[in-house]
Amino acid sequence: MTLFVATLVLLAILLALLWLLFGSPTNEAVLSLDARQIEKVLPVNCRHFPQISQLLSQDDNQFMRKRAPHDMESRWRAERRRILKQYLSGLRQDFTSLERLAHLIAVLSPEIAKRQEWEWLWLAAQFHFSYRMLALKLALGSLSPEGLAGLTQMIAGLTSELETRMALIAEHSPSRMRTDVGG
Amino acid sequence: MDFSLFESVRWAITVLIEVMVLVLALRHRLFERLPFFTVYVCILVVNEGILWVTYSLTGISSHASFYVYWTMQAIQVSIRGIVVYEICREILSPYAGVWKLCRPLLIGLGLILAGSAVATARRRIHPISATTLMAERGLELMVVAILVLGLVFCRYYGVRIDRYLAWVALGLGFYSAVQVANDTFLSEWLTRARFPIWEDLRNASFNIATIFWLVALWKPLPARQPAPVLLAPGEYGRLAPQMTLRLRELNTRLLEIWK
Repeated sequence: MTLFVATLVLLAILLALLWLLFGSPTNEAVLSLDARQIEKVLPVNCRHFPQISQLLSQDDNQFMRKRAPHDMESRWRAERRRILKQYLSGLRQDFTSLERLAHLIAVLSPEIAKRQEWEWLWLAAQFHFSYRMLALKLALGSLSPEGLAGLTQMIAGLTSELETRMALIAEHSPSRMRTDVGG
Repeated sequence: MDFSLFESVRWAITVLIEVMVLVLALRHRLFERLPFFTVYVCILVVNEGILWVTYSLTGISSHASFYVYWTMQAIQVSIRGIVVYEICREILSPYAGVWKLCRPLLIGLGLILAGSAVATARRRIHPISATTLMAERGLELMVVAILVLGLVFCRYYGVRIDRYLAWVALGLGFYSAVQVANDTFLSEWLTRARFPIWEDLRNASFNIATIFWLVALWKPLPARQPAPVLLAPGEYGRLAPQMTLRLRELNTRLLEIWK
């Protein structure tokens, strides 16, 4: 038993080392703040909310229920679910991008707060768990479109705020940056 | 000495690779970036000389050989602990904030595991070989833990690791991880004579580690990256609360939708 457990632990450690050392980094952004790189990490999927909002319209829902034949309505619902699933996946990408941006800010800051970093880690863990649960709910057909709409608006709000802040830092305040490093 | 021809050839190959690593390290001026690793490689070469003289004078099975061997092992594993800290510092120290967060965790973890290794070893006084195995396992575990924690920080913050550092770290981590498993087996069935495969594993894993270091140092070291441009000290304080508030709201909302 000891032999088996120790071998498993050894293999797990070796795989983890290989992944940590040679796996492609999750944060592809170059570690500097310039406006074009910031654009790469800012969320984009939540900007398509108006189109999705149309898709989620309750009027359409009622219309299809009343007027369309049953098989057509089923197909319509399945298609709507597929698009929502893709959209939810896009929202996750947006959240991940925001996470990367948060990491970028931390990496480039001479002082960071321990409590703040732990909170971001905890929030990210919560988000990813909730996302999985939502995706499951969507697959089971019990996710309300209104809920998704609220989520989208929130990410969009965060994006616009960050965009403004980061653009200010990157483009208009170069004199406030410094090139020395501590250590 | 009591070595067979096969063991003598294997030892000669080990020494040859170690000398090659040392020559490459000095040639590429590795001591400017990883001074402790360079010292460690020097100690490896010196260690072979000391063991050869001891084995020749007293025989491989003598008490003197036992104590010399394990003393050298203790020195080496201690320096490996410092070297993995040095690698983490080399990668993360340009990012002052992250390094300030990571450094106390690495030191704390190292001290806890080293203390635990000593405490565990003190509980088993007899036989002496069991004590040394327990101590070695604890210290090798410390090496692996410090390395993994440092690398987790690099991964989490997306900090790039230079290729040569990755190979050096892989060699250290690989060897220490194999030793942790090896010492676990040995302390479980403490009759090394019946399980010679574990001693072969120790030697083979060390040879593999030295080959990783050879790969790391084969090419000249890359030029040092320019120091990253850091944000002004107050920016983090201004940006972080806004992001936290939004992320917190986002999570609350997500949980509401889920429920």
